[in-house]
Amino acid sequence: MKTTLFGALLASTIMSGAAFAQDKTDVTIVLSEELELIDPCMSSQSNIGRVLLGNISETLTVYEPATATLKPLLAESWEETQPGTWRFKLRQGVKFSDGTDFKAQDVIHSLERTISDKMTCEVGGKYFGGFKINATKVDDFTIDITTDPAQPILPLLMSSLTIVPEETPLEMVQQPIGTGPYAMTERNIGTNIVLTQRADYWGDKPKVTKATYVFRDDSAVRAAMVEVGEADIAPVISELDATNPDMDFSYPNSETTYLRVDHATAPLNDRRVREAMNLAIDRDAFIGTLVGKDSAKATAVVPPTTLGYNKDLKPYPFDLERAKALLAEAKAAGVPVDQEILIVGRLGMFPNISEILEAMSQMLNDAGFNTKLEMKEVADYNTYYNRPFAEGRGPQLVAAQHDNAKGDPVFSMYFKYGTEGLQSGLVYPELDAEIAKATEASGDDRAALWSDVMKDIHENLIGDVEMFHMVGFSRVNPRLDFTPTISTNSELRLSEIGFK
Amino acid sequence: MKRFIGKRAMASAISLVGLIVLVFFLSRLTGDPTDLYLPIDATQEMRDKFRELHGLNDPLIVQFGRYVWDLLHFDFGESIRQARPAMEVVLEGFRWTLTLAVITMTLVTVAAIVIGSLAAFKVGGVFDRITSFFSLIGASAPDFWIAIVGIVIFAVQLRWLPTSGTGTIWHWILPISVLFIRPFGLILQVVRGSMITALSSAYVKTAKAKGVPPRPIIFVHGLRNAMLPVITVIGDQAAGILNGAVVVETIFGFPGIGKLMIDAILQRDFAVILAAIMVSAVAIFIMNLLIDLAYAMLDPRIRY
Amino acid sequence: MSQTNTTTTPKERGRIGTFIRLLWADKFAFFAALFLLVVVLCAIFGPIWLSDEATRQNLRGRNAPPFELSRGFMYILGADQLGRPLLPRIIVAAQNTMAVAAGAVICSMIIGSALGLVAGYTRSRWSGAIMRLGDVIMSFPSLLLAVIVLYMLEPSVANIVLVLAITRIPIYLRTTRAEVLEVRERMFISAARVMGTSDRRIVFRHILPVVMPTLITIATLDFAFVMLAESSLSFLGIGIQPPEITWGLMVSQGRPYLTNAWWLSFWPGLAIILTTLSLNLLSAWMRIALDPVQRWRLEMGGRKNG
Repeated sequence: MKTTLFGALLASTIMSGAAFAQDKTDVTIVLSEELELIDPCMSSQSNIGRVLLGNISETLTVYEPATATLKPLLAESWEETQPGTWRFKLRQGVKFSDGTDFKAQDVIHSLERTISDKMTCEVGGKYFGGFKINATKVDDFTIDITTDPAQPILPLLMSSLTIVPEETPLEMVQQPIGTGPYAMTERNIGTNIVLTQRADYWGDKPKVTKATYVFRDDSAVRAAMVEVGEADIAPVISELDATNPDMDFSYPNSETTYLRVDHATAPLNDRRVREAMNLAIDRDAFIGTLVGKDSAKATAVVPPTTLGYNKDLKPYPFDLERAKALLAEAKAAGVPVDQEILIVGRLGMFPNISEILEAMSQMLNDAGFNTKLEMKEVADYNTYYNRPFAEGRGPQLVAAQHDNAKGDPVFSMYFKYGTEGLQSGLVYPELDAEIAKATEASGDDRAALWSDVMKDIHENLIGDVEMFHMVGFSRVNPRLDFTPTISTNSELRLSEIGFK
Repeated sequence: MKRFIGKRAMASAISLVGLIVLVFFLSRLTGDPTDLYLPIDATQEMRDKFRELHGLNDPLIVQFGRYVWDLLHFDFGESIRQARPAMEVVLEGFRWTLTLAVITMTLVTVAAIVIGSLAAFKVGGVFDRITSFFSLIGASAPDFWIAIVGIVIFAVQLRWLPTSGTGTIWHWILPISVLFIRPFGLILQVVRGSMITALSSAYVKTAKAKGVPPRPIIFVHGLRNAMLPVITVIGDQAAGILNGAVVVETIFGFPGIGKLMIDAILQRDFAVILAAIMVSAVAIFIMNLLIDLAYAMLDPRIRY
Repeated sequence: MSQTNTTTTPKERGRIGTFIRLLWADKFAFFAALFLLVVVLCAIFGPIWLSDEATRQNLRGRNAPPFELSRGFMYILGADQLGRPLLPRIIVAAQNTMAVAAGAVICSMIIGSALGLVAGYTRSRWSGAIMRLGDVIMSFPSLLLAVIVLYMLEPSVANIVLVLAITRIPIYLRTTRAEVLEVRERMFISAARVMGTSDRRIVFRHILPVVMPTLITIATLDFAFVMLAESSLSFLGIGIQPPEITWGLMVSQGRPYLTNAWWLSFWPGLAIILTTLSLNLLSAWMRIALDPVQRWRLEMGGRKNG
């Protein structure tokens, strides 16, 4: 009896899972990792955002990186009624997938839930921290949002706030409800997630009727699945597996890589040393070898589509002689250039990271530095990456990657370069003041001020060793009409997929 | 017998308690999970809130007391990563791993014993050389090689099998084949070795002299004596799979316990680590008990 | 080992001669021994001799295919993802690889079998306690142990050996005990006990030799297991880290390239396989050569096959 039961359990396990017969308008998308959480307030995490954003959950506004403009979605219009207060007019006739109507109260609840201290929402932590924010209802379809201090980019921030019904509890939900064109109809943890098109969606009907998301860790397997037709889109594959020009696309993924320099310790506190480091790296040797051939040499930590990006800045050339000369000069001035410099990397942070850092370490040593590479596991790495840094540490270079797809440098600059910024190695009060000024400015002023900040970091202070604006690779089944873009890194709107 | 099982269950329960205490305190030595869960630019306020929410602010001993108290009420804590009860998360994965382990180890046991005994029957013969050679290569080849090459050949080139995933019986063929190879090589070698010793021992020779035909000699006399180390190694290999067939799970997208455990350890999801260890420890304890009972059955001289 | 020097006495030479003759009788074992000798020499002299070649990178010549002599003999096995020649890298990596693998296997075998002997031979409380300790280690995930060690200590060869050795103890412990349980009841042991032979003598002179062959079989295969386990630890941030190299690390670094530059992980993988194979062949030979009952197989077979 017991044996039979045991046998039945095993047999049911073998047969369970997805045996999917596909319609022509169904798609299967293979992601690189399982969604641990599926709450809309976590959708700033790219793996969660790819399933939720624009499909299940919608926001008041939506940022379009291609044109660098902010478009209306659940809000039809917005204006700043007085400094620090924005009034949003909401779209009418919108229904959530649970059948309730979308109203001002839902927006207020969504905002309060996101910043609530009963749960830790990633959207709240990432975009709504560090200032006071308060929403009040004017009527059912008008709300006022007040911030203190005033946030000139509040409408942009609202493009991150996923709207949930006001009944949503203050804990992580396992069944996300939103106003988007799809609803989650099935979730088999570890196996798949199924989204089905809603009949009562307020906007245009997308072409895809059903989407199944499956999860595979290995890039070669994801690529193989699209190749044999088991899946239609693999949003992220490794460059090495992107071997078929008919199916594979590269796109800028808004990630920028760099070595964070610790300006508080010798010899890295010497500008000549930092310049020598930048000159010692042969960046061109990496492009098309260890990073994708469409990657671009970076001059700032934000991608070129960002507001105020300074196009006049030039990447440091590879000049070994000059690097050696600078180093000799610093040495003559008594800078301890022979000291061992620790390069810290995190395993799996971006493709080929160990190889890239190994090569950089070698290049620096060729110029006369004494560097040593250590690859760390994530929790260990964070102790090097985040402030407060260890007392009595030696000089350190921390390999880092930063993603800013939101179009404004404010999400990067203070954290990366402020004196007390969590991941900043810089310690310059003048720069802090500049950043603060740009943060509060709006319009053309804002762009110009950010440009100055970037120039200062890149040329005057030589803040870090900038590496590349990275590219990602996707494989798409040729039966689909879909081209990945810079936003594919954080979202994958099914409504943008067509069929050939 | 009953007394032995009773005593053994007591001893295992004590070890389980020891294991829980050990894992609870040691795993917390590996750092605070806060930074792993919050966005990198989270404010200090948010960090404090997170710690408060997950009870990380209290002294370790208070956290432990709370954990034990919950445990006595069959509450195994909540997964930080999945915001679901930890035991629920673990049992879902364990079902897959257990199925993989049972099927694989059954196949391995049968194949290794039959082939290993045959090989030992004529040491240095062609059959012996060939099976040894291939099983050794299999046992020492990196498993991801076999997995990826298997996918490329059978799923992409020949299109006979699905690349990965679950759903039909076809989906299980590649993963089980990959899992099969290493334990098969090891157990085959142990069977072969033990059989050689057993076959050269005095009483088998006596049996031979008495004119008992060769095959029964192998399977009855030899095997019986060779079995003790063989079962032990089978147990060890099965424990290996129960603790997580990580490569197979990650490459083929099997939602088993191995991947779960790695992620939980790297993400410091303590409740899940503890729940997973408890489940696999109970499975391993039961398996070792069965092995010890099997010893006594195979060799009546062994008493406990 | 076959090295002769002037002070060798005739008797010793005679022994070595017998040794080589017995070895030559089994051709597989002979070449296995030869291969292992090469590996050991590489491990000792490789880093001194080839360190520079092994670390010189050339990004523009990355993943150069094998069997092309245009770049020089060093590139015969191709180049890796940073354009470094694979052959010298494999030779240099032998040192760390052998240190880790031999260290972990030998430590776990000694500790595991010692505990197993005690647990199997005595019927005291200790026996049960040791076995339950084995259960605990068996259920303690090796990765967690690795992360704990990483957090408290620095990743170094010694610590990796420690982690791997601890996780491999149960298999030796349980196997030794299983064998001892059976051997203990055999006639000759009972006889020895009746004759008043000391426990220590019984264990070392009578039981251990019977148990040893199985342990060695497991140990040779464990060599491969440990080399590969070490690579998965490196993958997670504990373990040998670049620019240090081991075969296991090379195998795992070559993993993403498996479908378009197979040689990156193939050659170091082959080195692991060949080492394991050689150890196993040699141990099979040793077991026959050292067993007076079975030695005739070599003495006869040598003439027949040779």
